[in-house]
Amino acid sequence: MTGWLRLAGGRLVASVAILVAVATASFWLLHAAPGGPFATDQPRSAAVARAMEDRYGLHQPLWRQYGRAMARLAHGDLGVSMKRDVSVAGLIAEHGPISAVLGLLGLAVAVIAGVAIGVVAAWRRDTWIDRGVMLGALIGISVPAFVLGPLLIASIALDLGWLPAARIDGARSLILPAITLGMIYLGTVARLTRGGMLDVLDQDFIRTARAKGLPEWRVLAKHALRIGIAPVVTYLGPATATMISGSFVVERIFQIPGLGTYFVTSVTDRDYPVVTGVFVFYAALLVVLNLAVDLAYGMLDPRTRDLGARTRDAGGRARDAGAPAGGTRR
Amino acid sequence: MARWLALVALVGCSLPDGDYFGRVAEGRDLDPTHFRWCNQGEPDHLDPTLASSTASSQLVAALFDGLTTYGPDGLPVASLATRWEVADDLRTFTFHLRRDARWSNGRGVTAYDVAHSVFRVAHPLTASPNADTLAPIKGATAYLTRRVLVMRRAVAGLRIGDVVERVPDAPSGSEASNAPSATDAPDAPDGAAPIDPDERTARAPLALRDLGAAERDAYAIVPPGTPVVRMMTTGGRATLPSPAGGAWAYVLWQRDLEGVGGWVPARELDGEPGGDRVLQVRRAASAPAVTVHGRDVEASTDAIGIRIPDPYTIVFETADPTPYFVSLTDSRALRPTPIEAWSRWPRSWDRPAHIVTSGPFTLAAWRERDRVELVRSPTYWDRAQVKLARFTAFSMDDQAASTNAYFTGACDATAANNVPSSYLPAINGEQRGGRAYKDYAVAPFLGVYFAWIQTQKLTNRHLRRALALAIDRTAVPRFTHGGELPSAQLVPGTPIAQLSDADLAACGVTRATPGVALVMVTGELCYVPPPGLDYDPVAARRELELARAEGGLPDHPIEYRYNAGAEAHKQIAEYLQAAWAQVGIPVRITAQDWNSLLDDTHKGDYEISRLGSIGNFADPQSEFLSLFRCASPDNRGRYCSADYERLMDEANALSDRRARNAVLRAAEAVMIEDAPVVPIYVYTQKHLIKPYVRGYATNLIDQPPLWRIWIDPDWRSR
Repeated sequence: MTGWLRLAGGRLVASVAILVAVATASFWLLHAAPGGPFATDQPRSAAVARAMEDRYGLHQPLWRQYGRAMARLAHGDLGVSMKRDVSVAGLIAEHGPISAVLGLLGLAVAVIAGVAIGVVAAWRRDTWIDRGVMLGALIGISVPAFVLGPLLIASIALDLGWLPAARIDGARSLILPAITLGMIYLGTVARLTRGGMLDVLDQDFIRTARAKGLPEWRVLAKHALRIGIAPVVTYLGPATATMISGSFVVERIFQIPGLGTYFVTSVTDRDYPVVTGVFVFYAALLVVLNLAVDLAYGMLDPRTRDLGARTRDAGGRARDAGAPAGGTRR
Repeated sequence: MARWLALVALVGCSLPDGDYFGRVAEGRDLDPTHFRWCNQGEPDHLDPTLASSTASSQLVAALFDGLTTYGPDGLPVASLATRWEVADDLRTFTFHLRRDARWSNGRGVTAYDVAHSVFRVAHPLTASPNADTLAPIKGATAYLTRRVLVMRRAVAGLRIGDVVERVPDAPSGSEASNAPSATDAPDAPDGAAPIDPDERTARAPLALRDLGAAERDAYAIVPPGTPVVRMMTTGGRATLPSPAGGAWAYVLWQRDLEGVGGWVPARELDGEPGGDRVLQVRRAASAPAVTVHGRDVEASTDAIGIRIPDPYTIVFETADPTPYFVSLTDSRALRPTPIEAWSRWPRSWDRPAHIVTSGPFTLAAWRERDRVELVRSPTYWDRAQVKLARFTAFSMDDQAASTNAYFTGACDATAANNVPSSYLPAINGEQRGGRAYKDYAVAPFLGVYFAWIQTQKLTNRHLRRALALAIDRTAVPRFTHGGELPSAQLVPGTPIAQLSDADLAACGVTRATPGVALVMVTGELCYVPPPGLDYDPVAARRELELARAEGGLPDHPIEYRYNAGAEAHKQIAEYLQAAWAQVGIPVRITAQDWNSLLDDTHKGDYEISRLGSIGNFADPQSEFLSLFRCASPDNRGRYCSADYERLMDEANALSDRRARNAVLRAAEAVMIEDAPVVPIYVYTQKHLIKPYVRGYATNLIDQPPLWRIWIDPDWRSR
């Protein structure tokens, strides 16, 4: 129990430190970039520019602006977008759920298809099936979203007219963006699954299960996959954070009002509070999901169920993310 | 890259063969009362005072009436004002308002709404991006910078009500004279905003409410001792009359970034936080400065040149002759807004829950970065002419996605310039043997694309002339694909060959005259820019030799910058580089992110940069020629010519608009011969409009009156 508490306390301190570091870095890096939120190519007098900048205290010394921003953050206030006059928290609340729904759908595409491909490839290792599906996975990794998305739009939306070309308007309009988003991760999931499964399929308990006369699908699904999927779970922590916080490219191609857009536009707009807000939000998601991965680990692999025991082992690390395939062999 | 691939796929498998680009509905598939428009991105605001994005301008015009509004040709037509008088000296403009105009909450629209909105735009706490539109109005800019004050007490030989000008406490350095900085107050620590001369406090709680309302109807209570900023007082030159029982003051309370405003009885305000501050003021520029205290003065709206003789008449006074003043009255800064809404929610009253409108439409829904839904207003005075019951504007910030949505029939028309250049060859006929789709329309646009030269870096006039003369601009549209109009003239306009006979006569040209002309009043007034330095490689080499003889060539390759992200900017940069190399001028090209490019060019830290200028209304001076004045804050090229200054001043003093145009033309000729800028082409606007959309008028400033549109289900049989 004390081990668990120590782990939780350590995690908490580290998480806060990470969020402070992210907020600090985003503040200073963006202020180091030239320009500002109110730059324009249209005529504007110095007096008007000054009034707009004064509204947000942009003429105060940077250290003071930084102090204010951090004090606000400490109170849980992400500030107000300088370009749009809306609160950053409201912006995340409005656009975050859209990205989350799309991200989870993409995640489902990546996990269901990726794990199935990986299991089949491992099961039929070194046959033409293995090579074929893994080549497909490699192509999946290699084709970027800004190529796949337009190809899907041109063929399925424009040419065949089966699905909408842009915007979210009903469930059907989520299909193409979810596939585009999922394909980015599908290949990686398939390769990790195959690697994990290959490690497991050689082990004694699998041989035992087969010797007991269990049908092959039960051996694979019930015994092997539980252990073999571990590297995928490790990978899915950060991947989920990335997917549900939105993809700039996918949101732009399909005109989806998600959160991912702000990771790019807030930087090009020099919208300082939004930059800090979305990056801190993303960092918090990463922290939470990595914690979730640790918990999931314990549930999946009975040998690592005692979390306290794991914290006492040599590295002191809660998970063996660094060596996904070897991690379960102890 | 993404667009290029989409195009390959598009061309490869689905370039439609018919007359129209994509699906066209007809008959019962069409809702004749609903227009769906692919707008170019998300509007920043729908509040005319705060909206500055292109994506908001047409929605603002559909929601809010103006004294004038955009006619089909883009020139102002009577709307809220039924008629107006312009004084002979072009300094006084009297507008007479219709009496049947109503806000969507039922209240009548009066001249006070116009004046109070202007005061809000001009107030520094509003920080309106459109405040520069008010610059011609007497005292407006000085009110914003707190330079102009009105005496509250008779001291130092000044009388109550005297308008005085604040004398800067210290010389403000090299700051441009017409762009006063707000930093000159000594009481501004660390660059914070100076203490406002209109700061007030109250000993008792202040109940902010509508004018004349009971205290119990207050929507915000200011705690005792909390500073507020007084914006206006009843009974002024253009403020509402005082209710029985004495004057009321309108105050702003910055309790947070949004703040709140409201009326209170003026006698409740007593404290004066800046009261002991010593100020130097003078009555006129030539008068001696005298010392007064903060408590003696106020930044009253009476210092702004607006008068209201009766609730349906408003008079604007400008400092200088302003021939284009009527053109300003359809702009966002001068469209009235309802004080009862912006008082309560200064930054968010334009959301569906709070909005009050006066135009053809009201706001039904606004889903951020998705769509804005407008419905016909039941209170608009001209509602019988609005045929659409619903108008949906999708916020499409990606050009390819917008064009794809149009193709599938998800929108009925796209905003101008929202077709990616990679799609254009497929649409404009280049890839179909010259058969452009019938629903594709190209029209000239009041904008010019140019290479702006930093004249303090490239000081040699011959070198700059060589740069201008070396470019064969006719080749540029071959890779921009949008039918752009190659031009060596700075002021853009309509190609002379496309003008009507009446406009040809007004311009004093024949149809065979090359170049463009800017029609300012249809059939009456026209500006024809001088020809400029068009392609002449022999002359370019000659100028280069002259520059070399004068030792005017830089010892390094000249740097040309453009903003990264758009393929056309890069192609044009490479084309210019090759053209300049041909005459012997080595140039290297650099891509920069847009915000950095704006920052560097604003500081004058560049040699040549791609930029452009887009006009909001048809006038050569206010939108284009002003960029080259010595003191202009927008003078990125730092061009400064005594001859040009003299001619521009001369033109501005003229009240005869034809004579003024002639002098402006002489001024533009002086400037363009000095080559501080190399114009490349006049922009065009590219529209995709389904054939069943009727009444979609494209015009030079891209302000189609969208409320005149109707949908024709039987379009094929008509």
